[in-house]
Amino acid sequence: MSSTRKIIVVTNAFLFSSGIESLALELSGLLVEHVYTGSEKKLSQKIIGAKPEFVIIDPEAIKDSLIPLLRELNEDPEIITIGLVNSSTSDNIISRFSNTLNTTGNKFQLIEELQRIVGKEVAKSDNEQLISKRETEILKYLVMGYTNQDVADKLFLSIHTVMTHRKKINRKLGIKTVSGLTVYALMNNIVDIREVERSI
Amino acid sequence: MLLEKDMKLADIIIHDISLVPVISRFGILLGFGDESIEGVCKKKSIDIDFLLTILNAFHDPQYLDKKYLQSFSVDLLIQYLRKTHQYYLSNKIPEIECLIDKMELESTIDKSSYQLLQKFFKDYKTELVKHIDREEKVVYPYVLELNNAIANDEITSSLIEKIKKYSIKSYEEEHDNVEEKLTDLKNIIIKYLSPSQNQQSRFRLLKELTALEKDLAEHAIIEDLILVPKVELLEKNVLIS
Ligand SMILES: [Fe+2]
Ligand SMILES: [Fe+2]
Repeated sequence: MSSTRKIIVVTNAFLFSSGIESLALELSGLLVEHVYTGSEKKLSQKIIGAKPEFVIIDPEAIKDSLIPLLRELNEDPEIITIGLVNSSTSDNIISRFSNTLNTTGNKFQLIEELQRIVGKEVAKSDNEQLISKRETEILKYLVMGYTNQDVADKLFLSIHTVMTHRKKINRKLGIKTVSGLTVYALMNNIVDIREVERSI
Repeated sequence: MLLEKDMKLADIIIHDISLVPVISRFGILLGFGDESIEGVCKKKSIDIDFLLTILNAFHDPQYLDKKYLQSFSVDLLIQYLRKTHQYYLSNKIPEIECLIDKMELESTIDKSSYQLLQKFFKDYKTELVKHIDREEKVVYPYVLELNNAIANDEITSSLIEKIKKYSIKSYEEEHDNVEEKLTDLKNIIIKYLSPSQNQQSRFRLLKELTALEKDLAEHAIIEDLILVPKVELLEKNVLIS
């Protein structure tokens, strides 16, 4: 989940392309790599060549060549097609996309839909490699309310080693207090809210 | 830059805008005109040495290291410290709470992160209230009692006992840092909250946190480097007599 997942958008409407870019920004890990208009030459080759994970298409932008384009894109197993639809879009068109986004939805609904399509894991930000595995383990115990001595006993380390790790964690994250570390650990799913309830 | 009494107050404020809440604690409100610090003090009957000390301490954190004990009274000092507490509790803290609440309300996918920030700040507030309560209910009354006893020449044996049991030294030791958590919160917002469209709100929140952080640090310096030495001197006077 460390790499960003690419989106290509096909639309003539600026409102759609800029709207999608702002939605992608809400879900970190997503990147709108390119926006094409429907009249772009060799559109399908360009899209497939860019190896995107998602292609969001406004059917209005392509009209006649929509069905052949979708047929080509759907042959590539790596590509997920998403149609921008509304209540007047015909079922014939809707059924050719692997997913759809309803353009009349409000921001919240659109983000929900997009998140459902791209999968939950992209919503999490990507901080894991910031602290090492050992440090993450120690962080976890600290925010659960264990003392340095407890952690040392649990992990068969000297208290001095625990303190050194602790200082490293503080420095790497820029967070010194246990309450601050708790927020960090919860945001990054290092601990579960139930595990820290006593200590926060 | 050392701030001096013949400087125009307006020039100083333009130079360092973070002094606005400080002067308002002295009852000087924006729209004060074009007068010098001295002129403003005269009009408002403010102790000028005291105002200059506070302004300089706030403006340049190293200022107090170079200074000897100031001449102004302990009463004045405590009055100022209480006003500052009031400013935190009735202005700064609610403002920041409001900003975080608004961000939580407007957030879409990251609601739970904002709820964590809400909880974090609520706990912070509880801690700050406790810190302030301790000072206002235990430390300051003790200082005022000492001061009054000396002024009225009424040094009782029970007061001497009190000093032996609780001296300002213990306050100095227990006086903990209340800015650290704000720094953590800033780092969380800058580094770890998922990026989103609400950059303007985050920027405002960061500005408010930074202002509170600076004000608190300054306040603590005044407590540690002005109040404590003054009280140590008072204690000495009582014990000698
Ligand atoms: Fe205080
Ligand atoms: Fe304090």
